[in-house]
Amino acid sequence: MPDLLTIAAARRAFTTPEGKTFQALDGIDLTVGDGEFVTLLGPSGCGKTTLLRAIAGFEQIDSGSITLDGRDLTRLAPHQRPVNTVFQSYALFPHMTVARNVGYALEVRGMARSDRERWVADALDKVGLGDLGTRKPSQLSGGQRQRVALARAIVAEPRLLLLDEPLSALDRNLRQAMQIELKDLQHRLGIAFVFVTHDQEEALTMSDRIVVMRSGRIEQAGAPRDIFRRPATRFVAEFIGETNLFAGRVQNGTLVTDAGQRIDLPAGTPEGLATAVLRPTDFALGTSGIPGRVTRAVYLGADLHLHVAPDSGGPDIGVVARDAANAPRNGDRVTLAYDPASVHVMAGVA
Amino acid sequence: MKISLTAFAGLFFLFIYAPLIVIVVYSFNSNPVNMLVWDGFTLDWYKGLFGIGERTLDPNQRAVYLESTPQLIAALKNSLTVAAVTTLFSTLVGTATALAVTRYRFRGRTVYTGGMMLPMMMPDIVLGVGLLIFFSTIGMQLSLLTIIIGQCTFLTSYVFIVVQARLAGLDPALEEASADLGANEWTTFRKVTLPQLAFIISMDDLVITYFISGTGSQTLPTFIFSMVRRGVKPEINAIATLIILASIIIAALGLWLNARASRK
Amino acid sequence: MTPRTRGHLALLLSPVTLFLSVFFLGPLIIIAVYSVLTPGLYGGVEWSFYHWNFGRIFGWADGLVEVFEPVYLQILLRSLGLAFLTVIICLILCYPVAFWIARLPQRARIVFLFLITLPFFASLIVRLYAWLLILKPSGLLGTVFNAVGLEAPEILYTQTAVILGMVYIFIPFMFLPLFSSVDTLDRSLIEASADLGAKPWQTFVKVIVPQTLPGIAGGSVIVFIPAVGNFIVPDVLGGAQGLMIGNMVEQQFLSSRNWPFGSALAMVIMAVVLAALMLFTARACKAGAAR
Ligand SMILES: Nc1ncnc2c1ncn2[C@@H]1O[C@H](COP(=O)(O)OP(=O)(O)OP(=O)(O)O)[C@@H](O)[C@H]1O
Ligand SMILES: [Mg+2]
Repeated sequence: MPDLLTIAAARRAFTTPEGKTFQALDGIDLTVGDGEFVTLLGPSGCGKTTLLRAIAGFEQIDSGSITLDGRDLTRLAPHQRPVNTVFQSYALFPHMTVARNVGYALEVRGMARSDRERWVADALDKVGLGDLGTRKPSQLSGGQRQRVALARAIVAEPRLLLLDEPLSALDRNLRQAMQIELKDLQHRLGIAFVFVTHDQEEALTMSDRIVVMRSGRIEQAGAPRDIFRRPATRFVAEFIGETNLFAGRVQNGTLVTDAGQRIDLPAGTPEGLATAVLRPTDFALGTSGIPGRVTRAVYLGADLHLHVAPDSGGPDIGVVARDAANAPRNGDRVTLAYDPASVHVMAGVA
Repeated sequence: MKISLTAFAGLFFLFIYAPLIVIVVYSFNSNPVNMLVWDGFTLDWYKGLFGIGERTLDPNQRAVYLESTPQLIAALKNSLTVAAVTTLFSTLVGTATALAVTRYRFRGRTVYTGGMMLPMMMPDIVLGVGLLIFFSTIGMQLSLLTIIIGQCTFLTSYVFIVVQARLAGLDPALEEASADLGANEWTTFRKVTLPQLAFIISMDDLVITYFISGTGSQTLPTFIFSMVRRGVKPEINAIATLIILASIIIAALGLWLNARASRK
Repeated sequence: MTPRTRGHLALLLSPVTLFLSVFFLGPLIIIAVYSVLTPGLYGGVEWSFYHWNFGRIFGWADGLVEVFEPVYLQILLRSLGLAFLTVIICLILCYPVAFWIARLPQRARIVFLFLITLPFFASLIVRLYAWLLILKPSGLLGTVFNAVGLEAPEILYTQTAVILGMVYIFIPFMFLPLFSSVDTLDRSLIEASADLGAKPWQTFVKVIVPQTLPGIAGGSVIVFIPAVGNFIVPDVLGGAQGLMIGNMVEQQFLSSRNWPFGSALAMVIMAVVLAALMLFTARACKAGAAR
């Protein structure tokens, strides 16, 4: 995938009302490939929106550079950047019809009315809103507004689309339907997406690549599976999905925690300080492994979520087990089996 | 872009305040002939205003006696009387009307909401001459009473509009729940802001009062208007400065009370 | 509705109903009646129908009983023009400042809003008088121009002075509605427009102006109404060149003592104002329906 967008060493500071400076972007390096779906993920306040706004041009970066297709955008005003945004609040123009909203980007470029109408109809078709062109935004449902915002942003065929939590205002069912639709559309149009979300599940299902951010820096960037299976830091491991972390010292292919818990590791793991990552689904109830006692069993439908206090001491271990007639209950003794080869080790992380 | 906007705003505020500053500065200028040529600091015009200091009618003398000091005092008294009565009447009646239309649904409600806008929207000169003909037709002598009646017509409407806008954005339960923060603000609004606004508008009314004030019932604005018509005189600067000062104090006081109420 | 609430309602509404139907509707009716009555010889009135008052203004006077005097139409048109210019200039002055203040931090905003409304508290006649001091030939403007060796422009007793004075006293009327409109303007709309490639002027014309139209229209009406019938400003600053229709009314009532004719002129002002209001409400309804 050839590079489309390149951000190098971008920094942006804000001054708080108390007069302190606050580094919202603290040296961001990021490339987005042509047609790639990149998701920015991170806790509230980590700088996702700021980064998106910097790409769109609503925020100027203090230092660093932003290039698109080899063209330096760093000092260009928003209207000069060939990038479009889908706003979280949609920001549809209330005084214009849906059709005029969608055709706005063409209108301001001076495209003839007849051509414009064709393009608008085309864009509305793509988002499945063919016959709503004459309505006003206030006469639409939330999901329909969302689609209008999308149609408006793609009508002029930008190379890169920025989306700031576009689905957060929708209810759960609609949200899941839109996730699939959005991904489909992105695929068909071949436009690169930079997508911001709070929702790790959304990030995992939709993205080609996930960028995990933390206090203005990129913590880790990679394919969803890598981010999930092979987190590089404690922060990433804990942020994406539920995790059991075992910090300790590796000796002879086994990690020993301070509490004395032993975890078998893949062969050839180097010695020294390390943290082992085991997801709740990595465990099975068996006969050899970590012995412990169930302190809480939460019924989830098909599955059962168990909190297991290991006999060696230390924090509870989260486990997901299939629900069955003979499933363990509160107070039962269990042994947690796992495959040492599938344990992910973060070397050097304590 | 941002800098030029700030510069524009700066010029805007200069435009608003420069004239007021000019008056204040020249009220202390001792040059009685061409008061715009600075000739040293004096308080003579203020002294003359209150009838203290030397009295003379010679325009070339430093100490100028304002021929009409008693008239000025009378005008001020008239203004205060009119404003007090008008404020009392219009806030009571206007608020009652606003309460009625926001609290109750009744037939003819829209007649009231629409009709109460009219006096405010009516050009004051039309209302002024209308009242003049009306009073003379029913044979009512022009006096303070006619001024009060005239001002009450549009001030009641004004109070209604302001209160109704306030009430429309207010939870009806708030008035009872006096512990609430909103209730506190509402009380300040009702007891401070509203009367203050009504009082100031009444004190400042010129056009309507001009048509329906008799010879003995001049108010401060009509008195100053007649002085200004006769030409620029140094003592007008002094009066004007005092008025500016009084209004700043009143406005600041209102703001302070408001801020205090909303902080609570 | 229970008898009790009916009683409440009657208590709340009877004072205003009584008062305004006598002292507001009364004058309006009587002025309408007067405008079609015959002027008496020495300032009085005869109770007989007389349409020549309007004939004098609009030109159907026959030249015998009354003479058509185009000067009234001229002055009416001038008043409309001056009021219109006042509205436009107020708008041009207030719009950028409203934006500037809307983007200030909370504390500064309160301060500057207060500073704009403060002069409104100082007496109107005092504020006009200040311009007399400035514009007089020997006034501040003249003094400053003379000091640098230039001839001062003659502004006092011209239409320019009238516009200046009206703009000065009506600025708060324009500013406050405009500001509330600008302040509630959704900034993401401006960003969306720029994002879609609109140049700043396009964003202004296509998004900002339509979105702040309620404030623009409201402010314009509130300034236009008192401006068009104004007689104080032209009286103090306007001189013979700057006379407006309000001065004509005042003259008829207080010096010529032709009350019926004065009433006819006042009715003309009222008609103009009503037309402006209707135009405004029609637009507002249309905009309201479009939302
Ligand atoms: N205009 C601004 N002035 C001052 N501080 C700002 C400004 N914009 C953002 N910040 C600060 O920068 C930090 C990053 O904000 P940003 O909006 O990028 O976070 P985010 O990752 O999008 O968070 P969320 O997930 O809650 O939307 C926050 O601490 C925020 O308070
Ligand atoms: Mg955000």
